[in-house]
Amino acid sequence: MGIPSAPLVTKAFKDLAILNAAKRGMPHERICFTPHPVWGKTPEEVRAYVEGPDPVSGKPLMKEIIDALTVPLSDDEKKSGIVSVSVGPPTFTDTADNLQDFYLNNGYTDFLPIILPTEERVDAMMKGTSHKPDEVVGKMAAGAYPPWSYNVRQVAASAVMAGCRPEYFPIALAIASTGIASLFSSTNSFAFAMIVNGPIRDKLEFNYGIGALGPFAQPNATIGRCWTLMSKNLGNGGIPGDTYLGSLGNNLNYNNVVIAEHEDASPWVPFHVQRGFKKEENVVSLFRGLGVVPGQVARGSSANENVQFDYQMSDLFSTFTGFFGALIIADPLVAARLKEQGYDTKEKLFDWLYKNTTQTVKDYKSRNYAYLFEYPQALQGREPYATWYKLPDDAVIPHFPRPESFNIVVAGGQTNAYPQAGNLSFGVSVSIDKWM
Amino acid sequence: MNRRKLLSLLGMSPALLAGIPTEAQKPPTKAKDATDSGSAKITAVNPKGTPPPIQLIPMAPRLDTLDGKTVYLVDTGFHGSDVLLHQIEAWFSRNMPSVTTVFKRKAGPYAEDDPNLWKEIKAKGNAVIMAVGH
Repeated sequence: MGIPSAPLVTKAFKDLAILNAAKRGMPHERICFTPHPVWGKTPEEVRAYVEGPDPVSGKPLMKEIIDALTVPLSDDEKKSGIVSVSVGPPTFTDTADNLQDFYLNNGYTDFLPIILPTEERVDAMMKGTSHKPDEVVGKMAAGAYPPWSYNVRQVAASAVMAGCRPEYFPIALAIASTGIASLFSSTNSFAFAMIVNGPIRDKLEFNYGIGALGPFAQPNATIGRCWTLMSKNLGNGGIPGDTYLGSLGNNLNYNNVVIAEHEDASPWVPFHVQRGFKKEENVVSLFRGLGVVPGQVARGSSANENVQFDYQMSDLFSTFTGFFGALIIADPLVAARLKEQGYDTKEKLFDWLYKNTTQTVKDYKSRNYAYLFEYPQALQGREPYATWYKLPDDAVIPHFPRPESFNIVVAGGQTNAYPQAGNLSFGVSVSIDKWM
Repeated sequence: MNRRKLLSLLGMSPALLAGIPTEAQKPPTKAKDATDSGSAKITAVNPKGTPPPIQLIPMAPRLDTLDGKTVYLVDTGFHGSDVLLHQIEAWFSRNMPSVTTVFKRKAGPYAEDDPNLWKEIKAKGNAVIMAVGH
């Protein structure tokens, strides 16, 4: 812009602010800091912040701000040019034990033991694809950072570390090609999920039966873990204070929610077919959101022959953040019951849920996500938010912005009719076959 | 699950499993990988991706003084940013009344760019205070 500026950040984000400014070309940006948090403070409390010291420098905050705008620039602050960034040599040589420690201490792992990515193992992994080792697969950033790029060989290293077999590698490449990191910088501690569809589920022996979401099959376990290791290594995510700010973190980040759809037990078309792929194609679909919760807590009981899963889901979803969608993970028994209730297409179910999961405008406006993400869109006239913000507080509106906010996938062993549900929104579906 | 795998869950009874070799009972097909332990040195691949080079951006020249200048106070949209910036506005009013402050909420959610606002500031403003990284 060419105009002097003083960014003001709360102290909790000191490292993030300094590092991100540096990554974007201003390593000496004059960032000023207030105590944390600002959110929820009264004007009187915030006035004390303004009249008090910058908690990082210790100097009076307003003097810090005025200095940031008026003190002449140093030579360093005037510099231009290009600075290369090194991530170290292409290989490391040491004993296996020392390398395990080295990888762990350098943030390459998820703090669980890894399979060391020896050159032989990485070469073996690359036999799982026809693509060349130096082919660029994509770019990834774990938030609003300049993205890192990576090739097939770099993806293979994370796949080895996660315990993937070479035949799983095309799925890892497909995920990497999306550029979506499963570790995201937000303070919200996001969770991520994937749905795998197509014949590859059986070829690789994914578990989509009993314990479909649990640690009971190698592809489910390792491909999910691989996504997190790729996010750390290829996208530079998961560095607390720098590229990861989730206040509580999320246990699902260890291997994410990996769902191989139980296609044959579903009364509906498989998820990937909904997205325009053919049934015989192999596809992975990615989701992002806040997590997964059990469906048993909602109204009704599986002991009741007439259990109404649509009402159960609606109850559950009314506690969700509408900003993200809702992903129903339905045991085949749940799916069959829903079909018996008349939902012979997924769209009918989504339409019912959209119309029957509601909230008042007053409740809607009180939600954090509405203020942060949807109110600004309302100000720009984007629907449905613009209309919702014009309605009286007691007006009843949908809890989710559109029927497409809902998704359903069928998985599970049919030992009981229990659903689970994710406050997760669909991101993208990509071909696995392309990476074979 | 096939019978062999099913039976293997029972505790590997030799009587039950007679004639049904299980994977778990098979001897290792090869000697323990030398890369797994020991003092031998091995070479492993650096798993990191490739960071982009950093294009250094010279900072904008500073002002001699804020007296008589117009300072834009830009609200990113995070909770409390408006409260904080209004307190800064009040501070200028009390302590540096010659400074003209203009409060603006950046359009769109916080991560979205707002080129129209930057254009306005470049045309009408002398400095920016942006808050808050929450």
